[in-house]
Amino acid sequence: MNERRESVLAGITADNAVLSGLMVISPVIICGDTIKNAQALIWAFSIITFLSVLISSFVPKGLPYTVKVITYALISSTVYVPVRAAADIFYPDAIQRIGIYFPLLAVNSLIVFQTEAKFFRMGRLRMTASLFFYILGFDAVMLITALVRELLAYGTINSRIADVDMLISGLKEPFGGFILLGLMCGLYRKLRSVMSRGGSSAEEGDANVSGK
Amino acid sequence: MLKKAKKERLIWLDIMITLLTLEVMAYFYYGARAVASAGLCVGVSFAAELISLRLMGRRFTADDLTCISDALIISLMLPVSIDHRITAYAGIFAVVVAKNVFGGRRNIIFSPAAAAYVFVLTSWSREALMFPEPHTRLGIMEKPDVLLHSASHAFNITGRLNYTDFEILMGNFSGPAGSASVLLLVISAVMLIFRGDISAGAFLGSVIGTGLTAYLSPVGYSRIDSLGYSVVTNMVLFASVYIIADKRIAPQRDLFAFFYGFIIAVTAYILTLTAAKENPIIAAAVLFTPAALALRSLERKIDTELEAEKRREAEKVSGETEAEAGKGVAESHE
Amino acid sequence: MQMYLVNDIIAFLAANMILSQALGTSSLFIAAHSRKNLVGTAFCILLFTTFGTACAYIIDSALPASAAEFRLLLYTAAVSVFYIVLLTLLYSAMPQAHEKFRRYIHLSAFNCAVMGTLFTMSEKADGDSSLRSFGEYVRFGAEAGLGFIAAALILTAAYRKLNSNRVPKSFRGGPAMLIYLGIISMAVWSLK
Repeated sequence: MNERRESVLAGITADNAVLSGLMVISPVIICGDTIKNAQALIWAFSIITFLSVLISSFVPKGLPYTVKVITYALISSTVYVPVRAAADIFYPDAIQRIGIYFPLLAVNSLIVFQTEAKFFRMGRLRMTASLFFYILGFDAVMLITALVRELLAYGTINSRIADVDMLISGLKEPFGGFILLGLMCGLYRKLRSVMSRGGSSAEEGDANVSGK
Repeated sequence: MLKKAKKERLIWLDIMITLLTLEVMAYFYYGARAVASAGLCVGVSFAAELISLRLMGRRFTADDLTCISDALIISLMLPVSIDHRITAYAGIFAVVVAKNVFGGRRNIIFSPAAAAYVFVLTSWSREALMFPEPHTRLGIMEKPDVLLHSASHAFNITGRLNYTDFEILMGNFSGPAGSASVLLLVISAVMLIFRGDISAGAFLGSVIGTGLTAYLSPVGYSRIDSLGYSVVTNMVLFASVYIIADKRIAPQRDLFAFFYGFIIAVTAYILTLTAAKENPIIAAAVLFTPAALALRSLERKIDTELEAEKRREAEKVSGETEAEAGKGVAESHE
Repeated sequence: MQMYLVNDIIAFLAANMILSQALGTSSLFIAAHSRKNLVGTAFCILLFTTFGTACAYIIDSALPASAAEFRLLLYTAAVSVFYIVLLTLLYSAMPQAHEKFRRYIHLSAFNCAVMGTLFTMSEKADGDSSLRSFGEYVRFGAEAGLGFIAAALILTAAYRKLNSNRVPKSFRGGPAMLIYLGIISMAVWSLK
């Protein structure tokens, strides 16, 4: 039972799409520098991914792999059309800032490739729950990254001025996103290994090698 | 193995001596703040090294003291007037992000000091490129009223340096705390090369690359002035000694190292000439790290190939000797 | 001549889709499981970006501004056609090569590198009408593909070190690659 719950929650606990799978990282690196951008991206990503994977799960499993992948991509591109129209109404400014990364959300590897490898091997109900947590995992990373970068690079939190007197402007640039995300990935993996082994071990491989 | 570790420590000691000399010069020109800034960077780097090694489950050894020399290099590249917090961030970045994340001193990819300097340059470019006048003696927490562009900036824009040769030689012109003392840098370079502490090939490649390009395409009107000034400004000499010729990064064979240094220097000079970039040699050194890694990998392949060839030859010779010996025995039996 | 070359190289790196836009980073990391994969994927992406931009030119010229939301759908359809054609051609001409290379084609077809290139060019052409020509589109696509190859080579150079046992286990592989690319991107950014 526990294992089952864990596998459903994997999108957050053990197999985060961004931090563990290194998927959908370009929007996080480029657009995840303010909470406003993050909100718009989270909204778009969540809807597009959820609907696309859900609709794609009705595609017959017996089709050749190439045909299935193309069908998934076409489904998500179709889902993008109404989402884009809605975003123009609700997030007009953010859409401008996010630019090309908005449509790119629709061809993210979570939809195109992971559906086949992960979600469609589960029953529909479990798949829906698991997908929900995968999306939540992405949303959490996006929000945390945006919060840290906005605070340290602009000195604001959701456009409100915070008390930060030493700004690190490099964090708003793509390289800042790369470095911060790399550090977050490492910390996530470390936390995961500590939690799974009861916090008993250090980096076993390193200790062995360092002495050599 | 023990011999290698001993050699590494001696290299570190030699480099530290030269860096401390430059630090004394910085104290002479800028007062206590220069020493405080260096001390802070060293302290923060040391603490970051201790903590990150502990997190990695490793023990701190004397070899890990390289973090101190890297910290001194960083502080000597920064203006004395820079906010102490920036110096501290640079120290942490060098140790944690540019070094220990990749496995520490046994798996160095970038020069930690160079990466940290580029980080400061990209995040606080104004603070990193404005300097106090030499002989402005500052207290530990004191900040100068007036900050100037560096002499390198003036040279990049006008092609001229309004300082006497003696002033240039002594580093008596506005610029980073320690990387302007030309005479000391030359002495340090000679000493470190003769002691085998830095890569002679990379150092010469960098200096010759800058000098040659500066002579062929001068910044100002005079080719000779351009040659001389290009080598002493924009931290070229300092970077050639402590960053490009760093044995942890540069290729081991002198020819490869020369080529590596030459390419970095030519790229940096062209960026200075065409875009008036200040101190581009440091960022160019970081950018060409993959080239250094590729060259080192090529060296390893060549070494393996040569060793295999030697082994094959040795086997062939021993085979022939055995065959001859066998023949001799057979003849004697007959 | 040499000066223009250095400036062009810096500009090329500064416009690199991975170093400046993080496009295709996920694909780069998936491909980075082996050096052979990395090179194969990089060349396939070059094919897709070049062909994709050629199709994007036709789509952009025909699509009215009011139907901009459908651009992604049309781009996806165009890339899908090329995907099928490439696999079919390879299968019929060189069945052995098909076995060997099809995974690179699968990996290259739908990712941010290809789609990002098409959208970036489209956006550029919207801003500057002089860029709206078939030649400019294809040139941009080829340059973007070459940029991906350059980034793959940069990563390949450090591949052994980034995956070494000496790298802390939590940072080994992906996280170390991200930070490595971040530092290279930082150097390019400071020189541009």
